[in-house]
Amino acid sequence: MFWYYLGGTTMFFFMVQILTGVLLLMYYQPGEATAYESIRYLTTKVPFGWLMRSIHCWSAHLMIISLVAHMFSTMMLKAYRPPRELTWVTGYILFALTLGFGFSGYLLPWNKLAFFATSVGTDLVKSVPLIGNWMLQVLRGGPDVTANTLYRFFALHVVILPLAFVALIGIHLLFVQRQGMAPPLGARVPPRGMKFFPSFALRDLLLWLFCFMVLLVLAVFVPYGPGIPGMDWELGEKANPLAPAFPGIKPEWYFLWEYQLLKEFPPHLFGLEGPQLCLLVVSLLLGIWAIVPWLDRQAQREQPSPGFSDFGWGAILFLTFLTLKAWDIGATGSATSPASLKAISWICAWWTIAAGVVIVGVRFWVHRHRWFLFMGAALLHVVLHGLLGLSYLLAGAIAAILVLGAVTACIFRDDRRQANAGGSR
Amino acid sequence: MRIFSLILCQLLCIFAAAVAADEKPLATSAKLTGLLAATGPEGKPVLSPEDLAYFDGLNDHLKTLLIKILALGLRPQKMEVFLQDNCVLCHTDPEVQKPGSLFTLSPVSSNSPAPHLNLGELVDDVHFRRGLSCAGCHGGDPASDKLEHSFVKEWPGTGRDKDRGWVPSFCARCHSDPTFMNKFNPALPTDQLAKFKESPHGKLLLETKDPRAPNCVSCHGVHGIRSAKNPLSKVYPKRVHETCGACHANSETMAGFKLPDGSPLPTNQLAQYKTSVHGRALLERGDLGAPACNNCHGNHAAMPVGLSSVSQSCGQCHAGNASLFDGSKHKQAFEEHKWPQCGQCHGHHGIVKTSDSLLADGPGALCTKCHQEYAKDKPECRATATYFYTSLTQMDQAWNGFGVTAEQLAMKGLDVDPIHHKLNELADSMKQARSHIHSFSKTGFERVAAPGEKAVQSISALVEEAKAEYRLRQLGLLASIALIAFVMLTLYLKLRRLEG
Repeated sequence: MFWYYLGGTTMFFFMVQILTGVLLLMYYQPGEATAYESIRYLTTKVPFGWLMRSIHCWSAHLMIISLVAHMFSTMMLKAYRPPRELTWVTGYILFALTLGFGFSGYLLPWNKLAFFATSVGTDLVKSVPLIGNWMLQVLRGGPDVTANTLYRFFALHVVILPLAFVALIGIHLLFVQRQGMAPPLGARVPPRGMKFFPSFALRDLLLWLFCFMVLLVLAVFVPYGPGIPGMDWELGEKANPLAPAFPGIKPEWYFLWEYQLLKEFPPHLFGLEGPQLCLLVVSLLLGIWAIVPWLDRQAQREQPSPGFSDFGWGAILFLTFLTLKAWDIGATGSATSPASLKAISWICAWWTIAAGVVIVGVRFWVHRHRWFLFMGAALLHVVLHGLLGLSYLLAGAIAAILVLGAVTACIFRDDRRQANAGGSR
Repeated sequence: MRIFSLILCQLLCIFAAAVAADEKPLATSAKLTGLLAATGPEGKPVLSPEDLAYFDGLNDHLKTLLIKILALGLRPQKMEVFLQDNCVLCHTDPEVQKPGSLFTLSPVSSNSPAPHLNLGELVDDVHFRRGLSCAGCHGGDPASDKLEHSFVKEWPGTGRDKDRGWVPSFCARCHSDPTFMNKFNPALPTDQLAKFKESPHGKLLLETKDPRAPNCVSCHGVHGIRSAKNPLSKVYPKRVHETCGACHANSETMAGFKLPDGSPLPTNQLAQYKTSVHGRALLERGDLGAPACNNCHGNHAAMPVGLSSVSQSCGQCHAGNASLFDGSKHKQAFEEHKWPQCGQCHGHHGIVKTSDSLLADGPGALCTKCHQEYAKDKPECRATATYFYTSLTQMDQAWNGFGVTAEQLAMKGLDVDPIHHKLNELADSMKQARSHIHSFSKTGFERVAAPGEKAVQSISALVEEAKAEYRLRQLGLLASIALIAFVMLTLYLKLRRLEG
C-alpha cells in the first residue's frame, strides 16, 4: 500500500533539507548587506552552489506536498485510532513546524518577494486578541520587518526549528516503531505483518531513491520553480524596505488558502475585526483537525467511519477552492476589479465542482461509500458563492448550518438505532 | 470686525467646503446654525452674542458670499482681504451685476457669458496670491464703498476690446520693471515686451493691428494667471501645445498667412506634433524634458523658423549630434542649399523615432534620395552609408538575439550577469555609433563602433560557455540518474532475493 510510505518520503525530503541546508550554511551570511549577495554568490560562483539551492527549494515544497498527502492518507485510513492518537498529535505538531520552516526560510534570501511576503504574513499575528501586538514585536524583532527579523528567522530556521523537529520526529518514529503501522479498518492483517527491516526499509529506500531522482531532474531542468505564484524562487531583486509592495504579491502556495480566506472577510463583523474573526475560524477548524482521533468514535470501536473520510474530502475541496481563487484563475484584466473577482469565483467553482464530481464518483462506485454530507456541504458552498454569487461568508454559513443540522440528525438517528438494538436484545 | 472675521473663518472652514461646492449655502443653514452655536473646550460659546447678532444682520448676499469664499479654502488672512474688498463684494452680487460682470464659483465652460469671471480662478491667480487685488490692474480704491465706475479711468477708454495693442504695454508696466519684479520673483525675466515687439506676433498686433493677433492674455489668461510651473497654467509645458494650437491649428484663424516662400502657413503642426517622438514623450509619458512649441520657437520672441533656427534649438538638447554635424561636410553643403539642418532629414513637427533603415538603400532611405540628385559624383558616400547600415544592423541583431538567449539561459539557472554586462557595453557602443552618423565620417564611426563589435564577440563566447555548462549539467544529471537507477535495481533484486 503506497500510502504507508509517505511518512518515509517526508522524512527523506527533510534529510535532504538538512544536508543541503548545512552546505548552504557554509556560504550564507545573514544580514541586510550580505544575505542577498551571499546567495547570489553561492548560485553563480560556487561550484554546484546553484544545485544545492535548487535542491533545497524543491525539496522544501516536495516535503510539504508529501506531508500533506501523508496527513490526509492517515486521515482516510483512520490510522489515528487508538492506540495511535499521540502519533497523530505529534504529526500535527510536525506539520506546524514544517510550515514554520517554510515561512522562516522564505525570508532568508532577503529579496523583494521574500521581504513583502513576510511583511504581509507576519501582519496577521497582530489580530490575536490581547497579545497580538506583543507577538508581532517578538516575531519581527520590532514593529517592522528589518534586519532583526532576518536574524531571528535565521535562528528559527537553522537552530530552533530543526532541534524541535528532530526531537518530535524521534518521538513520532518511536511511537510508530513501538505500535507498528495501523492497518486499514477491517483489513485482514497477516499474523506478523511486514518486518520493518529489511522488507519495509528496503522498499522505503527504493522509493527514496526514486524521489531523489525526481528531485534531481526538477532541480536541473526547473531550477527556479514551476513559475506558479507561491512556488517561484528566482532570486530577482534585492529587498528595498523603502519601496512599496509590488502588486499581486502572494504567500507560498501552502498559505494561499488562509490568505484567500482573509480576503473574504469584511473589515468588521459581529463586533470583531475581520482578520480576528478569520483567525478565530481558522483556529477552530485547525483545533477540530487536531482532536479528530477523539471525535471519531466509530474508528475507536474499529468500525467503519465514513463520516470522517467524508470530512477529510470536504476539507480538501474547501482548501482547493480557496487556493484556486488565490491564484486568480479566470481573472479578466485586473484581478481586483469586481468583474474579474466574479469571473475568478465562477471559473474556480467549476474546477472545484469537477474535482468534487470525480471524487464522489470514485468514492461511490469504486469504494462504495455512502456518506457525502461534508463533501456536499463544501460543494454547496462553492455553488452558492461561485455560481450564484452569494458572498463567501454567507454561502459558508448556509452550508455549515445545513451540514451541522444533517450531522446532528444522523448522530441522533444512529444513537436511537443503537438504543433500540440494545433494548431489543 | 477683524477678530470676528478671523474666528468665524476658522470655525466655518470645517463645513463650508461641502456646503459651498453646490452653491446652496442657505439650504444647509442647519449646519451653519450648528457651527455658529459651537462651544469651546470649557463649554463656552465661541462667538459672543454681539458677534452672532452682527452675523445675523448681514444680508443674504454677504452670507452667501461668506460661504462661497470659505469654500475656496483660503487662509483667514486672505479671506479677510476678500471680505474687505468692495470690488469683490459688488461684483459677486447678482442683484447689482449683469452676467457680463458677475463673478461666480460655478465651473467655467466655453458657453459661459463671461468665462473669465470665476472666483475660483481669481483666487488661484499668481497676482492675487502675491497681494495684487482688483485695483492693482483695474484701478480705483477697493476700500471705498462709493460704487463709482469712474475708477476704471486708468484703462483705455473706448475701443479697448477691438484693439488689444494696449495690453502688452499695460502688463509691461510691472513686468518690464526689474526693480519692481525683483520684489516678487528675481528669476523672472523682464525683457518680454522687447522680445514680443520684435516677434511676428508683436508686429502683427502693434504694426499691422490684426485683430487675430495674440497679446499677453491670449496665452496667459486673464484672472487665472498661473506660474508656468503650475500644471493648470495655460503655459505649463504639457498645455503649451493647446495654447499655441488654439490659433495655429485653426484654419479659419490662420487663413491668409503665408510662409516666406509664399505658400500658405500650414495648420497641421499640432496634429503632427502629437504623433511625434517629442509630443508622445511630453503628452503621453509626461516627460517634461521633451520640448513643447516654445522650447524650439521661443516664448515671447516666438522667432520665425528660419534656415538656422531649428538646428540651433535642436542642439540645445541634442548637443552631441549638433556638434558632430557642425564638423561634417554636410554642414557646408546644407548651407549652400539653404536647407534646415536637422529638419531636412528628421522633419519639423512630426519627428519620429529614427531607424537604421534611413541609411539603407530601399524605400524610406534618406541618403540615397538626396545623393542621387545632388551628389552623383561621390560614390564613396553611398559606400559609407551602406557601411553604417550594415554595422548597425549587425550589432542590433546581435543585441536582440543575445538578449533573448540570455533570458533563456537565466531561466535554466545559469549565471548570465557577465552576458548582461557585455550587452550593456554593446548598447552603449550602438548609441555612440548612431550618434556618430552625424559626422558622416567612416573613421569616426569605426572608432566608436569597435568596442561594440568586440562586445559581440565576447558575448558570443560567453553564451557558448553557458551552453556548455548547461550541457555538462545535463550530462551530470544523466550520469546521476543512471547511477541511482543502478542502485535501485540492485536494491530491488536484493529485496526479491530476501523475500524469495
